[in-house]
Amino acid sequence: MREITEPRSFRRIAVFGGVYSNAHALVATLADARGRGADALFCLGDLGGVGPHPDRVFPLLHDAGVRAIQGNYDLAVGQGHPDCGCGYTDPRDNHFARISYAYTLARTSTEHRRWMTALPGHRRLTLGDHATVLCHGSPRGVSEFLWESTTPDGLVARLLGEVRADVVLCTHSGIKWHRRLADGRHLVNVGVIGRPENDGTPRVWYTLLTAEPGRDLEVEFVPITYDHETLAREMEAEGLPPEFVETVRTGWWTTCLEVLPARERARGRF
Amino acid sequence: MDAPAPAATLTPPAAAPFRHLDALWVQITGTWCNLQCVHCINASGPTEPWLAPLEAGEVCQRIDEAAALGVKEVYFTGGEPFLHRQILPLLQFALERAPTTVLTNGTLVDEATAEALGALAGAARYSLELRVSLDDPDRARNDAIRGRGSFDRALRAIRRLEARGLLPILTATEVDPAPGGETRYDRLRRLLLDAGVRKPRVKILPLFPVGRMAGHGGGTVTPEMLQSIDPARLQCSSSRAVAAGGIYACPILAGLPEARMPASSLAEALTPTPLSHPACLVCWQTGASCRNA
Repeated sequence: MREITEPRSFRRIAVFGGVYSNAHALVATLADARGRGADALFCLGDLGGVGPHPDRVFPLLHDAGVRAIQGNYDLAVGQGHPDCGCGYTDPRDNHFARISYAYTLARTSTEHRRWMTALPGHRRLTLGDHATVLCHGSPRGVSEFLWESTTPDGLVARLLGEVRADVVLCTHSGIKWHRRLADGRHLVNVGVIGRPENDGTPRVWYTLLTAEPGRDLEVEFVPITYDHETLAREMEAEGLPPEFVETVRTGWWTTCLEVLPARERARGRF
Repeated sequence: MDAPAPAATLTPPAAAPFRHLDALWVQITGTWCNLQCVHCINASGPTEPWLAPLEAGEVCQRIDEAAALGVKEVYFTGGEPFLHRQILPLLQFALERAPTTVLTNGTLVDEATAEALGALAGAARYSLELRVSLDDPDRARNDAIRGRGSFDRALRAIRRLEARGLLPILTATEVDPAPGGETRYDRLRRLLLDAGVRKPRVKILPLFPVGRMAGHGGGTVTPEMLQSIDPARLQCSSSRAVAAGGIYACPILAGLPEARMPASSLAEALTPTPLSHPACLVCWQTGASCRNA
């Protein structure tokens, strides 16, 4: 897997995951991050997904100078895999995953697919004086889900140790969380901007990370409200499943619930 | 009790490389169970368990070893785990270290136990999962497999657990083809919805030719066959099971001499796993995992 090391160090970065073809949320996120003085913008992958018109997000990412890494969706769409590689076993989840994947694959240009195929799997950078690794699912697996309730401290320590990092940033699961180990190392799931995080509101989240040399890492989760109604109408016009549109409007997940651990699932409506 | 079937060819079996310890399976009650299901992978039952329950001290020691290795999840299985007198304190011990799942037939989950589990889950740092076994949405068909009364008792346990916010996962074995066109998954999901379960969770496992099903199919996974899949999808590449007698390759084969790892500690047991048992072929064919997701 390709890894890119950033040649300079950063003081403040904005990091988001899971765009899922949600160009409206992407525009709002980029504007918000610029307004908060981020040195650089990073995307942890999964550019396509449940949203409409997948080609629309690429020019936005390029124009804003976003440094992206490859998610499982980007790898699958880029190489034309038979499925998204999300690893669902539940037949209902697979049914909906197939619909969004077939839609996205058929509407993503060759140029954008080639670009996604060339994305690195990891990025390594220095944030303040913290050695930081950016990945999609986990440092060891692009499709591994790291949920707050099922990622024990011992595993976090092992993942950090295996990639020799003080800080690991990931996404993929769709719900943000932050763990600071007793020894001062961090794992942050930065959340996703493509769909709400099953909390009953249409807002989405990205993460701002700030580190002054000699000081601990500051992690701020930033809520983004955007024109979700326009997104919902575009999805309806494209004939995407009403279950996906309902999530955009209500903030409750309706599909792909199998992968949620009991605690995270209990917080949602379905 | 379960001699491996002779290999179809003279080709030596493949070995699955070990990646990292994600799942520790604890066969806490050995093969001691109050039910005697026709497809049980380790022929558990109420009389003369061939595999003894584990002492609490050994369970704690193995969980501590696994936590030090960065394990992701702990699973308690058997037999029936709620027959173990110290199941609740052991669950609490495990939950302080890692997310923990109990695989149960549900028959012993009374109101008091459900209440205790709800309290445990609420106070725990990590997720507590309950997997309740029920094989067929038709009461008579289920009870023919799992024993008389098991359907009603399992469904009652699911309701009791859901009432405490625990969201149990109904776990079924694909014993025989479902009648009609509807899949077992769809029928079980509907059963839960009809029973008033608002967040139905269903997991289906294949039949394995081991235990009471020994001799029903199988074969050997050859090195050539292993090359056609990602070996990481085999659960023995990231799981180990602790049962009486030592450490074993996976929960399906726990207790069998041929699946015993030549190791006295978990750290020593993270070595390639020979895929020599007929049940290994089912994992190779189906990609099944005994884990929750």
